[in-house]
Amino acid sequence: MAEHATLWRPRGAWADTARPGRHGRREGPPGLIVTPREGLALASVTAVDGAEARLAEAIEARFGLSLPEPGGAHLSGEAGLVWSGPDQWLALGGARGDLDGLGAALRGAAAVADQSDGRAVLRLTGPDARRVLEKGVAVDLHPRAFGPGRTAVTAIAHIGVQIWQRDDRPTYDLAVARSFAGSLWTWLEAAAAEFGCEVRASA
Amino acid sequence: MLDRRPNFAPSPAEGGGLVGSQPFRTAAGGLIDRRRARDFTFDGRRLSGFHGDTLASALLANGVRLVGRSFKYHRPRGILSAGSEEPNALVELRSGARREPNTRATMAELYEGLEATSQNRWPSLAVDALSVNALLSPVFAAGFYYKTFMWPAAFWEALYEPLIRRAAGLGRAADAPDPDTYEHIHAHCDVLVIGGGPAGLSAALAAGRSGARVILVDEDFSLGGRLLAERREIDGLSGPEWVEQAVAELKNLPEVRCLSRTTLFGVYDHGAYGAVERVSDHLGVPPAHTPRQRLWRIVARRAVLAAGAIERPHVFGGNDRPGVMLAGAVRTYLNRYGVLPGHSPAVFTSSDDGWRTVADIAAAGGRVAAVVDSRSEVPVALRRMAESAGAQVVAGGQVIGTRGHLALSGIAVRDSYGGTLHIPCDTLAMANGWNPVVHLDSHLSRRPVWSEDIHGFVPGTLPSGMVAAGAASGRLTLSEALESGARLGAEAAESCDFTATAPATPRTDPESTAHTPLWRVAKPKGKAFVDFQNDVAASDVELAHREGFRAVEHLKRYTTLGMATDQGKTSNLAGLSIMAELTGQPIPAVGTTVFRPPFTPVAIGAFAGHHRAKEFRATRHVPSHAWATENNVQFLETGLWLRPAYFPRAGETDWLQTVIREVETVRSKVGLCDVSTFGKIDIQGRDALAFIERVCANPFGTLKVGRSRYALLLREDGFVLDDGTVSRLSETHFIMTASTANAARVMQHLEFCRQWLWPELDVQMSSVSEQWAQYAVAGPRARDVLKRIVDPGFDLSNEAFPFLGAAEITVGGGIPARLFRISFSGELAYEIAVPAAYGDAAWRAIMGAGLPYGICPYGAEALSVMRIEKGHAAGAEINGQTTARDLALGGMLAKKKDYVGRLMKERPALTDPDRPILVGVRPVDPSQRLRAGAHFLAVGAEPSLAADEGTMTSVAYSPSLGHWIGLGLIRRGHERHGERVRAYDPVRGGDVEVEICNAAFVDPAGERMHG
Repeated sequence: MAEHATLWRPRGAWADTARPGRHGRREGPPGLIVTPREGLALASVTAVDGAEARLAEAIEARFGLSLPEPGGAHLSGEAGLVWSGPDQWLALGGARGDLDGLGAALRGAAAVADQSDGRAVLRLTGPDARRVLEKGVAVDLHPRAFGPGRTAVTAIAHIGVQIWQRDDRPTYDLAVARSFAGSLWTWLEAAAAEFGCEVRASA
Repeated sequence: MLDRRPNFAPSPAEGGGLVGSQPFRTAAGGLIDRRRARDFTFDGRRLSGFHGDTLASALLANGVRLVGRSFKYHRPRGILSAGSEEPNALVELRSGARREPNTRATMAELYEGLEATSQNRWPSLAVDALSVNALLSPVFAAGFYYKTFMWPAAFWEALYEPLIRRAAGLGRAADAPDPDTYEHIHAHCDVLVIGGGPAGLSAALAAGRSGARVILVDEDFSLGGRLLAERREIDGLSGPEWVEQAVAELKNLPEVRCLSRTTLFGVYDHGAYGAVERVSDHLGVPPAHTPRQRLWRIVARRAVLAAGAIERPHVFGGNDRPGVMLAGAVRTYLNRYGVLPGHSPAVFTSSDDGWRTVADIAAAGGRVAAVVDSRSEVPVALRRMAESAGAQVVAGGQVIGTRGHLALSGIAVRDSYGGTLHIPCDTLAMANGWNPVVHLDSHLSRRPVWSEDIHGFVPGTLPSGMVAAGAASGRLTLSEALESGARLGAEAAESCDFTATAPATPRTDPESTAHTPLWRVAKPKGKAFVDFQNDVAASDVELAHREGFRAVEHLKRYTTLGMATDQGKTSNLAGLSIMAELTGQPIPAVGTTVFRPPFTPVAIGAFAGHHRAKEFRATRHVPSHAWATENNVQFLETGLWLRPAYFPRAGETDWLQTVIREVETVRSKVGLCDVSTFGKIDIQGRDALAFIERVCANPFGTLKVGRSRYALLLREDGFVLDDGTVSRLSETHFIMTASTANAARVMQHLEFCRQWLWPELDVQMSSVSEQWAQYAVAGPRARDVLKRIVDPGFDLSNEAFPFLGAAEITVGGGIPARLFRISFSGELAYEIAVPAAYGDAAWRAIMGAGLPYGICPYGAEALSVMRIEKGHAAGAEINGQTTARDLALGGMLAKKKDYVGRLMKERPALTDPDRPILVGVRPVDPSQRLRAGAHFLAVGAEPSLAADEGTMTSVAYSPSLGHWIGLGLIRRGHERHGERVRAYDPVRGGDVEVEICNAAFVDPAGERMHG
């Protein structure tokens, strides 16, 4: 009701954990720069068996991107699709609501379920970003094995995560189930400490 | 270029130049930094060494030879080796919370302020009360545990075990939490090179130059292996110079990573390797933000095993006396550390290799007391070289005994004529050939094979992708190490599709591997040790033979040979060779035991890594977590979840008081509970309803859009898997909930059904558990509260939105939400779901809206009390051993459809009318407390298994009834309402007479939730 309207503000998945500022080693430039990504639009897209071609067409029409192959992340700015399992993708949009209507657009070709708040996302970049991730991820992130446009569904510190690489600076986005954000953050802070870590305000 | 040799100072008695307080330090030479003194203490004694020393080399430089007491007999022990194979020189390092027992002094890098303490001695190292054990050694022979502490059995825990542990323990663990941190890291490479000696460096260079991704690991703090320890020449460079060049080149190759201070401790399937890096062990306290140790998981396409070889001791009387050392170790201390461990050393050799020790001591300006070679033929050049160093040469002789109190003062030698010579000496260097390090290649149960060429075991069939180079493969010369390393390194890179060529093998100075092993000395004087760390002597092997423990695996377990923390690195072959001799077989016929990870002990902290204390495992937070922590919540760990358990208010003194108040508030007013931990599965598709029909045991065909229904899922074997609800949001869109504990299992089960049982169905599923915050608003005023929450336009009246209604609505001015009219508490209740980011806002809004109605938050405890009051089965009853019939849910099973578990639940044992079935129980005397876990017995029956009629599964104090109530599974319970039985609980001394009753204690007709 109207008298409560001002109270209905979203609370970020990282609100309890990510403190902006410098963490770990103080000297020199930070090896890792972390930006909590709040307010994104995320949705799981599960293909209807036999409708993959129609799905690819519909994705092309909406995103201007082809449907990613296994292990692929097709991105255009903040929008795109990230492969997340056989016949499954995670659709991305830069702002809450960006994926509204996706379910209708893909009807008959795929089931869409909103995950905007189901996953908590961090953007990791900096000269030591890969070295930090290596402490948690068993997947080979070397440029010969991984790179921009690649994704992996894996685990860090026994917590299921999905990472996709955005560019070769390198910049990675990391998604974790929302309830695990606190534990994932504790690991990240410990893993990044030796390199120095700058946490930016969420964006 | 052999001019880097140290100039050994003559002994103090001869007035030679001393290096400060380090009487055994050479005047110059070695790879230590003499400008950087390092003060340390040993048993409180202040001593000094240099940067680049190990604790062992610094102790020897100071003339400290007695370092520890042995495990069983408390015999004085010194330093045997200069590497990770060390069985004797185990010390406690550091103090307080950082105290670390059983550290090998040969591997501990010296740092300023290092504190080391000898262990396994009392009251002091020199005077050890338990050395009396040595006098009782006949009692402590092999198998003494089995023979001595047999009876009475009651003495074992009270007396024998504590006694043995006190007497035989090694070091003491720290008794405070470890203040340091540990971490894990993953690495991938084309070629993993294990060992940084000449073979390993050659392999890494050959592979690395091709552009392959190479990881080189070495346990030492300096790369180079034996090249740091021997006076050798490669293409005109000294060993250390060649190493420096090689390492400099490796460091310039961008895809090569060199890890020193890193022990590769395990080989696992599919090219996975475990290694531990001692990041800060060479410092007193780790620098800020730096772990003490780092555990590496390395995945490599190819591996070159270049782990080198370990020298074999001789087995003779008193071979454990401090001062008796491996010859290679003596050369290491001399050439690498500038320490000659004795002023009058002697050498006992069975190989040409041992004579290098004589040459090195002579080259350093030292004197050699004697050289005893067990071979009768000794090359003339070697004999001349030794004699010019002042040594008495005994060819065809054997050292049979040693003299000295706490350290060596002389040896007894049997010459080739059978006479006995007594030769004074303070150090004895033993050279009896080298054993390739076959540990790592046998980690995958591959047995090494015998090589007549080197009289030792060499790798047999190697693990897939692994090759062995250099001494680890039985190629014991430097030139072979360089050649095989480069060739196999190049081949490894080639097999990873790189173009690599092995460079020409460099020129090296001449060397000889001539060797006739002497497996043991005949008729030794005194105990001749085989396994120093576990105090196993040759006589114990003989005893094992006499008593029939002749197979290698029996020999090992009966004598404990090779079972100490060093895994018998210096002892296994000696034990096998003696058994071979006793059984009249060749050594390969006796066989060999294999090794298992870890190669050397690894701290548990390294395996734990980040996962200690609260980070032992991940913690999941509910959407109302922030509000709950602001409001004095008490949490309950449910799996990984931290669930609010109850919310104490000022003045409430115990949890029961709080829970009673929360239950009473829900039953009389309204309460709010976070139920987001339940699993939520989004099910879509044209065949979604058909799919749900097949996975649920109760009928769903009539479920209309906008309605919810209880859902019961069976496993394929007919037992209950879980229960929850299914809500229909549209013709093709459903939401299924699952219990907190089974959320993942149910999702897995549904995926299995979809992918394997009925792939033809058009069904898509997605877990949306994390997307939605879901709250129960329960109690007579629930509707009043929700009216103030849902956006205008949605009719909450009982007529418009009745019991089991489901709707997609909006709240807070357009935020999408889902509303379900389902009740776990039995009251008028709703569950409202909002996107998780709005979970915090929704909770606060509902609490605010509920204020006028006396709302209170309630937690998992009150939730549980209310479900017991309603007789709902939960985790304690749905325990994997109960059927729908057992849970008194048989009536809801569908008759006209097929579903998972339908046939299997009809098995005779599952339909036996005598099976326990769910009932309620109440104490006959209402003041009595009930306890879950109690067994039901007929009144007057003697407790016995045969008399057992079932168990109490859940209990609660019922605020609604004012006494304890319970749920239980009891034989034919549904026919026995009103009957009295005993609830017998011998564990906690409970014995309460209870009456069997309907499980629904409160509102059995279910009128409230329909209101």
